[in-house]
Amino acid sequence: MTKAAFLTDATICIGCKACEVACKEWNEVPDDGMIWSGFSYDNTQALGASTWRHVMFLEQPAVAGPQQVDMENPFRWIFLSDVCKHCGNAGCLEACPTGAIVRTNVGSVLVQSDVCNGCGYCVVSCPFGVVDKRHPDGRAFKCTFCYDRQSAGMTPACAKACPTQSIRFGELEELREAGVARVAELQHRGYADAQVYDPLEASVGGTHAMFVILGQPEAYNLPPAPEIPTICLKSAWMSALISALVLAAIVCAAFLF
Amino acid sequence: MCGFWIYSGVFPSEGRNRANEREPKDEYGHGWGWAWPADRRVIYNRASARPDGSPWSERKKLVWWDEAAKKWTGKDVPDFTATKPPNYVPPPGAEGDAALAGDKPYILHADGFGWLWVPVGLNDGPLPTHYEPLESPISNPMYPQRQANPVGLNRARTGNEYATSPDARFPYVLTTYRLTEHHTAGGMSRTLSHLAELQPELFCEISTELANEWKIEHGEWVTLVTARGAIEAHALSTSRIRPLKIGDQLVHQIGVPFHWGYNGLVKGDMANDLIAISEEPNVRIMETKGLLCNLLVGRRANNVAKLKEYHSISEGKTA
Repeated sequence: MTKAAFLTDATICIGCKACEVACKEWNEVPDDGMIWSGFSYDNTQALGASTWRHVMFLEQPAVAGPQQVDMENPFRWIFLSDVCKHCGNAGCLEACPTGAIVRTNVGSVLVQSDVCNGCGYCVVSCPFGVVDKRHPDGRAFKCTFCYDRQSAGMTPACAKACPTQSIRFGELEELREAGVARVAELQHRGYADAQVYDPLEASVGGTHAMFVILGQPEAYNLPPAPEIPTICLKSAWMSALISALVLAAIVCAAFLF
Repeated sequence: MCGFWIYSGVFPSEGRNRANEREPKDEYGHGWGWAWPADRRVIYNRASARPDGSPWSERKKLVWWDEAAKKWTGKDVPDFTATKPPNYVPPPGAEGDAALAGDKPYILHADGFGWLWVPVGLNDGPLPTHYEPLESPISNPMYPQRQANPVGLNRARTGNEYATSPDARFPYVLTTYRLTEHHTAGGMSRTLSHLAELQPELFCEISTELANEWKIEHGEWVTLVTARGAIEAHALSTSRIRPLKIGDQLVHQIGVPFHWGYNGLVKGDMANDLIAISEEPNVRIMETKGLLCNLLVGRRANNVAKLKEYHSISEGKTA
């Protein structure tokens, strides 16, 4: 079974948003509101029920790699196309009580909208804030990893539309190696703060969407250690048990004294 | 078959797309992508060889005449009739490519020579020079006695007044431009939800310095006024836009995309209301990249009294 993945490279993204438009055209996603944000040129603002690819625009007072000009006022404008991470251990999948969220044969996490009952448990269980309920529909929607296209042997719409190959689609381990090689090349060329975002250590257990970024992941709305809620189950039940025992002791004590 | 002429040759065989190839084979990039029409990387590369066909420089040689094979060869695809020898002399009455001698590399010019200036066809020239735009905050540093293009066509009339250079009423430089998401003035793209949502409203980009000077909040409405008209836009203050230091002057620039209008899913004022009808003498296109403007805080309707100071017809143009 091959594991499909995205490797999205912030250093070659040009911010054209062709991935966002291609995604919406293929998947028939409605518009997400005509709201001017004032956040650079980014009016999409975040991933949501009606935005499955989101190109963020970061304006930073930092040096862009080997930049030599105007070092007193360094400035860089970074673009990165964010997407559902299709976690190895998915918080949304574990939280779903109806079985609407499933693991597919390509390793991705799919919300089956014909089964979803709109409870919203997945929304709060996603460590990346990806899954979202669409209003007024009420059901949860997110990136399908173009499961229909993949089943037909095609590349997901976003990767297909990307004019700079910033979004690469392929086999998970191959892209993981490609990301490490890309970062090594970038660092060799003077981008000292280049790194791969690939949270293997955290409880999400690695993701099927990795990113090549400059600087810290927090700036890209990527948590440095994304944890799934179920890791708290043991301590939560233990707390509940202790509370119950203490309450029972208090009730008993009320009769005794 | 190809969808468009610029792609003819990009698919030489089934399943091969030369534009997608990423294996550079030499320093000219052959093997990485593809250049229409024959993957030639340097235009007029016959000029890299002497009139007799031998390279000017052994180190930088590009194409040369192979006497044994009787053809042009080299590191790049020759931009020359491959079998035309360097000593070819056109016969009397020859036409087209046959009329160009073997030592004339500039094959798109009728005489085959490279040109330092344009001998025919332009209404100005022949040599390139510098003039300031029709409206400029500075005087022409190159020719103080000649501010703007002397053969530019002046179309000043009521409703199309020009500012002077400089103009105390209009201290800032205004430039208009496009965004990726919209097509020209937005007539098609404003009606498509997937494009309109990405750039839903008109804004103007100003430097953080100018925003601080006017105490403009990020996103606040401002009114931009030129000698012709006034529009309202959200202020987007960003360090991408920086004031220009020209001589002793600090000149602020204001950038305005021109994609909005009065219909579609998203609407907004038209940047083209600000620009001057002027005519560059050759292609007769108006100047849209360097104009003079001023900035008023607040929406256009709240600036009616002030706008009356700028133009006699401002009443008719306010909302």
